[in-house]
Amino acid sequence: MAKLWAVIKREYLERVRSKWFLIATFFGPIFFSAIIIVPAWLASRSKTTTDIYNSIILDATGENFGRRLAINIAGGDSTNAAMLPVVRTVPPAELTQAESLATREVMRKEKSGYVVVNQQTLAGESARYAGTNATSIADMTRIKEAIKQTIMATRLEKVGLDNQKMKEITFIPLDFSTERITERGRAGSGMASVLFGFAIGFLLYMSIVIYGQTIMSGVLEEKTTRVAEVVMSSVPTDTLLAGKVFGVGAVGLTQQIIWIGTTYVLLKVRAPIMAKLGAPTVSFSLPDISLAAGILFLLFFLLGFVFYSSLYAAVGSSVNSESEARQAASPLMIMIVSTGVFIQPVLLNPTGTTAKVLSLIPISSPIIMPIRMAVTGVPRLELAASLFFLAIGCLAALWLASRIYRVGLLMYGKRPTMREMARWVSYAR
Amino acid sequence: MTEYAIDIVNVTKRYAEHTAVNDLTLRVPKGSVYGLLGPNGAGKTTTIRMILNIIAPDAGNIFIFGRPSNDTAITERLGYLPEERGLYRKMQVRRVLKFLAELKGVKGSEADRRIDEWLERLSLKTPEKDWGLAKIDELSRGMQQKVQFIGTLLHDPDLVILDEPFSGLDPINAQALKDTVVELKRRGKTVIFSTHLMDNAERLCDSVCIIARGEKVLDGSVTDVKEEHGQRNVALALDGNGMADVAQILRDHSLVRRADDSNRFFEIELAPGADPQALLRRIVESGVAVQRFEMIQPSLHQIFLQKVGATGIEEGMSGHG
Repeated sequence: MAKLWAVIKREYLERVRSKWFLIATFFGPIFFSAIIIVPAWLASRSKTTTDIYNSIILDATGENFGRRLAINIAGGDSTNAAMLPVVRTVPPAELTQAESLATREVMRKEKSGYVVVNQQTLAGESARYAGTNATSIADMTRIKEAIKQTIMATRLEKVGLDNQKMKEITFIPLDFSTERITERGRAGSGMASVLFGFAIGFLLYMSIVIYGQTIMSGVLEEKTTRVAEVVMSSVPTDTLLAGKVFGVGAVGLTQQIIWIGTTYVLLKVRAPIMAKLGAPTVSFSLPDISLAAGILFLLFFLLGFVFYSSLYAAVGSSVNSESEARQAASPLMIMIVSTGVFIQPVLLNPTGTTAKVLSLIPISSPIIMPIRMAVTGVPRLELAASLFFLAIGCLAALWLASRIYRVGLLMYGKRPTMREMARWVSYAR
Repeated sequence: MTEYAIDIVNVTKRYAEHTAVNDLTLRVPKGSVYGLLGPNGAGKTTTIRMILNIIAPDAGNIFIFGRPSNDTAITERLGYLPEERGLYRKMQVRRVLKFLAELKGVKGSEADRRIDEWLERLSLKTPEKDWGLAKIDELSRGMQQKVQFIGTLLHDPDLVILDEPFSGLDPINAQALKDTVVELKRRGKTVIFSTHLMDNAERLCDSVCIIARGEKVLDGSVTDVKEEHGQRNVALALDGNGMADVAQILRDHSLVRRADDSNRFFEIELAPGADPQALLRRIVESGVAVQRFEMIQPSLHQIFLQKVGATGIEEGMSGHG
């Protein structure tokens, strides 16, 4: 046990200390949050801009309408001068002149546009806006709403409501969210879980490929530098193999926990970051994951990892160079890539026959089953069957790998044929 | 049984294409320096790997200090230096050593203390430079060999197994290795090493075993082996001219069975029944100046050649000596 621990510790610490690990671990979350924030930021450019704060209000009402409108455009805050549009009180007769002046200012890009309010506005009939952002639906809606609100306030004042009451009645900070319905139901939340399922699948897929190959080159390094022989004289090969798989697995787990953790935190605190970018927070709710589901995800990850990495270790032990290893690992790559090909079909039809069959085969189940779990409810029986076959697959892979491994590590020279490897498996030791 | 450090009984190991070790029986006395001699491909490395329980024999038994070789507690008393050397290239020297120590059950501060001691002893750690903090990659070949050597001895093993320890060593490291072997013996440790360099074996070993083609050719203490092979050898040293005549005489098979010609020095094995005085007379008559003519015990080298000959080295054998 102490020896197993020593092997695990070396595998873990040497990898976690490597530059590659540090870079990947810290750039991962930045990359993931960029994926989330950048589209939101791009989307926000079609929403309210700061242009509306830089507009002019030409007030020809003869009442204090312009000032009130400015405060409403600024979102009810009269203290922040930067957000208050400039108000110019203009006699109706001089309005044309004032408008041409404002037009020139907009043309010189000093201002973004101007609102004209007059007696017709007070009557609730009309108002005008001209500016560079006239095509922005969000901006125009905001100004229109502000004008309506101001008209309402003015009217309420006329019927004798005091300032405080008026504010209470007219203040309606309505948060209006929208959701699309498609033939598959409510698309909003549906989209989120498909995205989540895809993320899970992708993460599993990548980590199996990356860490499988990490193990393979680790084994190969021990073989080519002949450290293996020294280590084998102290540790049984099965312990060595187990230590490698566990150690590298722990590295993968560490990295994913850091990734998931920081991405989660970044999502939680994204509001201020996105506000800095000038984008309002988009509502984005992560699907709720129960503890049981979380444990199952972990279990599938670990078993899938053991399945593939032990086979990768066997490949690493049977070859003599990196180029041979790449060639010899191609059957494993084909197994993983062909599973990857099915990620999208399974996402689209998570309860279909393809999805069900693929989640029973140990080659594909560690990736496919978690995806299904993310997008749909999977019956317990199917989950149990999937785990059962995967566990059997793991044991078989470990058994096969340990037999190839202990012979392969001591065999130098030409690459073994399949027939020779089969004979290794039958060797006593 | 316990007086033997290693007791190999009728051990056989077969591979698909050939039998690497065939019915080998040999005993290594405790506290001795033991040489496993043989040409490349003779089965030395296979034997060593079986002693270390890296591979298991197909038949027969191996006992280490009286315990079966697959007893895991035994591995902590063994130190092994493989023929092909190498360490984790990207790893720091200290961490490599600590890892190797841990695999042998030496932990924490005790491992640190021993590592410091060894690094200083082999001048890998001096007041100016601590190579222990460097990566293996950054070390010269000689220094890497030192590190590997430390790794072999760090846990103070009772039985040290060195596979071709002299291959690739520069004279300084080779001398350091010899000194260490002597030191280990003085401290009551058992050292077994394989080599095909007979000179080293003759000077260092108490006992030897010569194997060829997976089978034991002879074994025993160096003294016994030499005595067994009798006083039928002559050391001959000549000065200068008349070599051609002498060469002619040495080809006379009624007098000389075999002559190892080192130009000015010859080690001659007399033909059965030949009279050494007759040989001396012939040489003197040829007119060359004889510097030395002495009846000697045969060198291990001679015994090896005599016993194994050219036939012991099989063509195309892999390097699994």
